[in-house]
Amino acid sequence: MVKSYIRRAYSSFTAHVFDIPPRLMAFLFLLVLLVIPVAGLNPYYLSMMIYANVLAIFAASWDLLVGRTGQISLGHALFFGIGGYSTALLFKFFGLPTWVTIPIALLIGSSVAVLIGFPCLRVKGPYLALVTMAFPIILHSIVKWTPLSYIFEGEYGIRRLPAFFAFLPIRQQRIAEYYLTLILFFAAAVIIYKVANSKTGIVFVSILDDELASKACGINVTKYKLMSLIISGLFGTLAGCLQAHLLKVSNPSMFLLTWSFTPIIVTFLGGIGTIYGPLVGAYIYYILDKYFLAIQLPRLCKYFGVTLPGEFEYAKLLIFTLIVLVLVIKWPRGIARFTTDKLEDLEEARDLDERGPRIWKRYERKKK
Amino acid sequence: MHLLEVENLTKRFGGLTAVKNVSFHIDEGEMVGIIGPNGAGKTTLFNLISGFLEPDSGTVKFEGENITGLAPHKIVNKGIARTFQIVRPFRHLPVIANVMVALKSPRGARKIEWLKTMERKAADLLEDVGISELALEPAENVGHGTLKRLEMAKALATEPDLLMLDEPFGGLNPLETDFLTKSIMRMHLDEPSRGILIVEHKLYALMKIIQRVIVLHQGEKIAEGKPEEIAKNKTVIEVYMGKGM
Repeated sequence: MVKSYIRRAYSSFTAHVFDIPPRLMAFLFLLVLLVIPVAGLNPYYLSMMIYANVLAIFAASWDLLVGRTGQISLGHALFFGIGGYSTALLFKFFGLPTWVTIPIALLIGSSVAVLIGFPCLRVKGPYLALVTMAFPIILHSIVKWTPLSYIFEGEYGIRRLPAFFAFLPIRQQRIAEYYLTLILFFAAAVIIYKVANSKTGIVFVSILDDELASKACGINVTKYKLMSLIISGLFGTLAGCLQAHLLKVSNPSMFLLTWSFTPIIVTFLGGIGTIYGPLVGAYIYYILDKYFLAIQLPRLCKYFGVTLPGEFEYAKLLIFTLIVLVLVIKWPRGIARFTTDKLEDLEEARDLDERGPRIWKRYERKKK
Repeated sequence: MHLLEVENLTKRFGGLTAVKNVSFHIDEGEMVGIIGPNGAGKTTLFNLISGFLEPDSGTVKFEGENITGLAPHKIVNKGIARTFQIVRPFRHLPVIANVMVALKSPRGARKIEWLKTMERKAADLLEDVGISELALEPAENVGHGTLKRLEMAKALATEPDLLMLDEPFGGLNPLETDFLTKSIMRMHLDEPSRGILIVEHKLYALMKIIQRVIVLHQGEKIAEGKPEEIAKNKTVIEVYMGKGM
């Protein structure tokens, strides 16, 4: 009896709580994000949220290129680094303000997308992945090791970049930065989502599914691939610019493989090919990595009286990898898509309930 | 001037000559079939005409213009559409979006008339091939017969002057074959100036609808003529049935 009561309570709960259209759900998600700084969050968490916003933009741009167009890129760090370095160089040599350097950096980023598009989009599949991977590695060595590196200030990178809201006191600065990244995050998400679901987006998916068949439909495949690469590169560059100005430094580590693989992990966590998946995935990534593993786990260990050895820092990555592995195996289509699938199932069940014949219900009741 | 003129087309794959000096032509409004045993080079010939392969020698002329070695999408936009022997749907997309991809091409977009949206046009095309009730179903969920018709709708979306069908009846049951035969006939009546080139194995279905047959064997054209003549042709019978029939 208790069991049936619980079940009924649960089903009425799901019926009422999950009875939200996706659009409203996105709106609520944004609303929660909007009030977070007002709720008086710890500045550390707030800055993590800021970086989560930046990562969400970056991962969504990767998802458009790979999840929707099928052009596997393992070198998205290229755009990240280009963004960081172009805004930093423009500041260093011309002393331009931030609101001028970032648009110029975006232009540079999209021209780089065009430039690498011509050699990259001739190759397919694993070869494309390898070619794209090469570019950030080349640039990493250029800015770090070669004689040219004095322009880029070598290993330390270009430091003392201006903050976005330098005129505000430090605490308000964080909050202002949070809102800035949130607005850009939302704008980028809407633009990428709209592009991915437009008629052009349909062509992108057709290239992912079957390139030959879309050629046979009269589609200039190279043009559309390039278009996807440019849009993706643009938002990747934006993320790089934001990261550089938030950290106030753009250093060679922006070209590292880590920055190529983080968006991949994030996208797979959230659900590849959904665009909204990586947005959710970025938050999950930061909660896992920076909150659970960096704060809660040591606290838990302390509580149980376990002393962590100094090597734990390295083990953290292992634990993180294991958690990600479990999540990806459990929900191979991503957490966000898993949720939407559940919602759709509920909707369908409710539709059947409403439209289905009464007799069927009576029959169900009798069976019990 | 012929609609399509193929002259001395040759294609080699290593030591194998898949298509050897094939020449033929198609006039406006003609329905021509290409038949031949397995490995005769029919599909290779298709790929050569539609630009998916580049010929070693020879020329393909369409409406008097040399289109040899042009990129496939350019050829489609000149007015030659093709279907594939093995269906190639866009599996992640709904059926109607599959057609909209073709409508997004320059030629497809040009043919959308005033006040007719792309969706409307795509729905009309699906209606024409008889699968409009499955329009919103993802292409990975629909059956093979539907996909065959979807291929046709995709090809028709660019409103080609020459339609090339690569084994349209392959893998279909007699009922579906009959339906498709009828819709090809109707297509022909709707647009009488459109040339249609069909590669097919099922001779029974094919011979009823075409006006002229080209027979290929080991890459060479061995016969050409009206279906009734070809059915009695000695060499053709020899190729299909073996000697001594």
